[in-house]
Amino acid sequence: MPSGQTSAPTPVTEAGTVPTGKPARRFDPHRFGPVVGLVLLLIVGTALNPDFATWDNMMNVLTRTAFIGIISIGMCFVIISGGIDLSVGSMAALIAGGMILLMNALAGSVGSPVVVVALGMLFALLLGGGFGLAHGYLITRGRIEPFIVTLGTLGIFRAVLTWLADGGAITLDNDLSDAYGPVYYGSLLGIPVPVWVFLVVSIAGAVLLNRTAFGRYVQAIGSNEQVARFAAVDVDRVKLLTYGLLGVCVGIATVLYVPRLGSASPTTGLLWELEAIAAVIVGGTSFKGGEGRIAGTVIGAVLLSVISNILNLTSIISVYLNAAVQGCVIIAVAFLQRRRP
Amino acid sequence: MSLHVAFDGITKEFGPVRVLHGVSFDLHPGRVHGLLGENGAGKSTLMKILAGYHAPTSGTLRIDGEAVTFRNSRDAEQRGIVLIHQELSLADDLTVAQNMFLGHEIKRGWLLDDRAMRDRAANALRQVGFERDPDTKVRELIVAEKQLVEIAKAQLRNARLLIMDEPTASLTPSECDRLFGLIDRLRQAGVTIVYISHKLDEVERITDEVIVMRDGRFVARAPTAETPRQRMATLMVGRELTDMFPAKHSPAIGKPLMAVRGLTVPGWAEDVSFDLHPGEILGFAGLVGAGRTELFEGILGLRPRSGGTVEIEGRPVRLRNPREAMRNGLTYLSEDRKGKGLHVTMGLRDNLTLMTLRHHAQPLLSPASEDRALEHAVANFGIRGNPQGTASSLSGGNQQKLAIAKFLEPDPRVFVLDEPTRGVDVGAKRDIYFLIARLAAEGRGVIVISSELIELIGLCHRVIVMRGRRVAATVPADRLSEEELIAHAIGTDIGTHTRH
Amino acid sequence: MSEVARSTRRLVLGAGLAMTATIALGGFALAADTVKLGVSIPAATHGFTGGIVWWANQAKAELEKAHPNLKITVKTASGAPEQANQLQDLVTVTKIDSLVIFPFESAALTQPVLQAKKKNVYVTVVDRGLTDPSAQDAYIAGDNTAFGRIPAEYIAKKYNGKANIVALRGIPTTLDNERWEAFTGALKQYPDIKILDGKYANWNRDDAFKVTQDFLTRFKDIDVVWAADDDMAFGVLKAIEQAKRTDIKEVFGGAGSKTMVKTILDGSNPLIHADVSYSPKFIYDAIKMTAEARLKGDKLPATYIIPSALITKENAKEFYFPDSPY
Repeated sequence: MPSGQTSAPTPVTEAGTVPTGKPARRFDPHRFGPVVGLVLLLIVGTALNPDFATWDNMMNVLTRTAFIGIISIGMCFVIISGGIDLSVGSMAALIAGGMILLMNALAGSVGSPVVVVALGMLFALLLGGGFGLAHGYLITRGRIEPFIVTLGTLGIFRAVLTWLADGGAITLDNDLSDAYGPVYYGSLLGIPVPVWVFLVVSIAGAVLLNRTAFGRYVQAIGSNEQVARFAAVDVDRVKLLTYGLLGVCVGIATVLYVPRLGSASPTTGLLWELEAIAAVIVGGTSFKGGEGRIAGTVIGAVLLSVISNILNLTSIISVYLNAAVQGCVIIAVAFLQRRRP
Repeated sequence: MSLHVAFDGITKEFGPVRVLHGVSFDLHPGRVHGLLGENGAGKSTLMKILAGYHAPTSGTLRIDGEAVTFRNSRDAEQRGIVLIHQELSLADDLTVAQNMFLGHEIKRGWLLDDRAMRDRAANALRQVGFERDPDTKVRELIVAEKQLVEIAKAQLRNARLLIMDEPTASLTPSECDRLFGLIDRLRQAGVTIVYISHKLDEVERITDEVIVMRDGRFVARAPTAETPRQRMATLMVGRELTDMFPAKHSPAIGKPLMAVRGLTVPGWAEDVSFDLHPGEILGFAGLVGAGRTELFEGILGLRPRSGGTVEIEGRPVRLRNPREAMRNGLTYLSEDRKGKGLHVTMGLRDNLTLMTLRHHAQPLLSPASEDRALEHAVANFGIRGNPQGTASSLSGGNQQKLAIAKFLEPDPRVFVLDEPTRGVDVGAKRDIYFLIARLAAEGRGVIVISSELIELIGLCHRVIVMRGRRVAATVPADRLSEEELIAHAIGTDIGTHTRH
Repeated sequence: MSEVARSTRRLVLGAGLAMTATIALGGFALAADTVKLGVSIPAATHGFTGGIVWWANQAKAELEKAHPNLKITVKTASGAPEQANQLQDLVTVTKIDSLVIFPFESAALTQPVLQAKKKNVYVTVVDRGLTDPSAQDAYIAGDNTAFGRIPAEYIAKKYNGKANIVALRGIPTTLDNERWEAFTGALKQYPDIKILDGKYANWNRDDAFKVTQDFLTRFKDIDVVWAADDDMAFGVLKAIEQAKRTDIKEVFGGAGSKTMVKTILDGSNPLIHADVSYSPKFIYDAIKMTAEARLKGDKLPATYIIPSALITKENAKEFYFPDSPY
């Protein structure tokens, strides 16, 4: 440019931009809050009951974390973009019920149970994606707050499932159950299938968030929607896709969940939304949006299940206080990873 | 009741950046001081220290000879020092009276004494000439009325020193006249006033003396009567104005790069037509609220349009959002840098490449490619700051350079800059002017919307003046002058009336 | 003026005996040749309440068919406040003269029920007693003590007073406490029976699965799992199946759900041998008893406990209702 000379030390603007003075974000010790919390819990768990540190117990915990964990990864995108989805638990229940009914119905006409199960799984993913996109559509085009949209569907999904189930349970036929069982109970190289899926979804989520234009747009929108809009980001489309992505994640979680009990009932997925949101926030994602981490979310989800695992493995605390212990741990971890104002 | 203020070697640092470099001067009781300086000169920071919003990093503040330390603005208010903010700080959903007593509520027992507050508010409001009911919600007031409320609020606190930061930025000429009358009365009542403004004609009209700051330092003080406007401007900028701006090259004459015909943005702009030629810098002048920003937000599809056509390079285009505008070779950098221009909490790199991520995806984003883009931009635009930090860690001038770099990444044919030098120091300002000239020399069309008339005059080939949602005039380079632009902006009749 | 009195008067007027109308106001229940019965129950949110809703509607269908002058209105609520509102609607809008209510909470619904009773509505309370018994005319309930005691006695007898037990509990409520205390109380006299631990699994299959997994990690030698609910037993069985544990000899559920009874009947699961009945059918019984008594003008006994019984392969047939969802 023509002017090579630029004036010496540039003062900040009068309006008072206060530089944070942090050299680089990668040295921020608060990022490791959830890891520190998890390590402490692991030490406590091992001290209280030696069985805690066994391979089998670890795999039990990771396997049961898989559902919430996978949903949390989708939720992480939604929260980073500045949204929220309260309906995931009900959505999982309805998808579970829907896919079981479909598979039972197909079992008569389609011979191979494996094909039936495969169709059921495909249906679950499509249904999840469809529900998610419907949320996104109502939120972006309908201009309704995500809290309200998903609070509404929270009730709708569960009510429809309860109606389908006549208030009882929808149960998968036995031979289908046998064909489907390995998806939850099977393992590969000693690691249960749901843990593998959880791992794959986590890595895919991390790549999507940090290494694709979509992920960058999600962060940009959550950080400041106006700036993103002015920077030619198709805000509505990106938001729509985050909800669709979460829906697919719920679908994947449900695909893993159904073979566990082979049934869906009105208590299926109860309060999963809170667990998923808690996992995301405990993992260091800002509830205000803009900034978030997949690895933290995974650790957050594991941490939440480890707490209840430890409580089940010991009797030192009255069962009446279980929820209080969980609450204290969640707050303590959030404290460890808090940001300075 | 007046008080004497002395700054003694005041410095202020925000993190690694030093904003004030040992400022020393006095404010004399009962006088109106015009505090002059470019954006970034440190005026607002110094006044925030005086009003208790910031603590100085070093140096002493003396009130009537006594060294004082304010912990917050309440401490300063106790001494009678009140700052009326540039961005007015009233709560929109509270009433006028509630706002005036916010944080200082009168109570009877545990309950608020609304009647007493309303009566006292009404009394103070009458003195400043505010005619409306104190129970009106602040949301319903126009800017000039909010300003009166702020002043009345200061009066309630028995202000002895009143700091006004750009009070006339959004006022009409008659509202300005009323404000100046009020300032006169306050001076007669012995109130010391610090008046910060870029409008040198106002400073000339109402202040007793001027104090000039530049780049965080005290530069000069002089009685207003002995300081012609030209001298004030030179003191502020620190060099002759002719040195601030690049030489004007005449643009190509031929087919327009962009042609707008009969464009209407309901409520904001009506029947606007203009052409922009390759290599041309076209200015847009007008008062706040004349519809300049909203016109371009309408062209970008961010506001509904009810009529008109836009052509870029001869092709008619229908732009429904900034994305389509970008694809058609038009980008727009908003005046609201933190609200619409940059993600201040995100890194430099992420900001720079946001509009062109496609170029760095293969299909996964390549950090190396993005880093190369940042290196290139840092070198090309002279962005100084920690490349690993967030955008908020940059100074205003460097933020603005980053923002310009960001909106140039898509390589637009038409580049619109809205208030390109707001909140930017002198050095960066000059850099930006030369950059704009270079962009035009490359054959792009550049549109500059600005409230700084000096800037428009020094930079533009033509200036369109908007008044009341319409194009009032198009002024060619050889007729550009402050008087001409102001006359068109406020309407010739009023213009001649206010200029004595 | 109560609905009973009003319909009575209409009858009397219809007979052309206006002069004696005031005498009829004495409230001869006999004169109520039509009965408007309201049924207020929790909405179907899990297997058991699903059964409640089904049985209530079953009772409505059967009874209205058998008695043309009986009108039954079934309302479901998803919380105590909603139930209180519905109660008001039943009294003022539907103008019921009899009420069968399965209260969400004892304390919260005592006053609303008392208000209904003051308007001459005949009140039968089901399952959970009200805090003020004067608010109810009759009380019909399942036997929660037996729900805990029967499995305890069964286990003690079958395993000769020697067994390691882990237990699941429901949601912290008085109902759950009664069962738990009856269970642990009955086992006190067997020093060789150890209850290793009891944890809440919220009457929920998934939570039961998780809690059982952790029990299995923690205790290497378990004889019996008292799942305390058929839904929870379902999750328990899955967890045991996954862990491939062979030390566990029996899983004891509770409530006598359709699938559980069928399993006992068929002997299809080696871990399932018995159950204790606590069928949602008691709502059916309560509606039927109330409606028939009211049609006749009779009163019900103040308290009627529907006994819980041990279900084994021998008697399972009596407890099997294939059409019920539960």
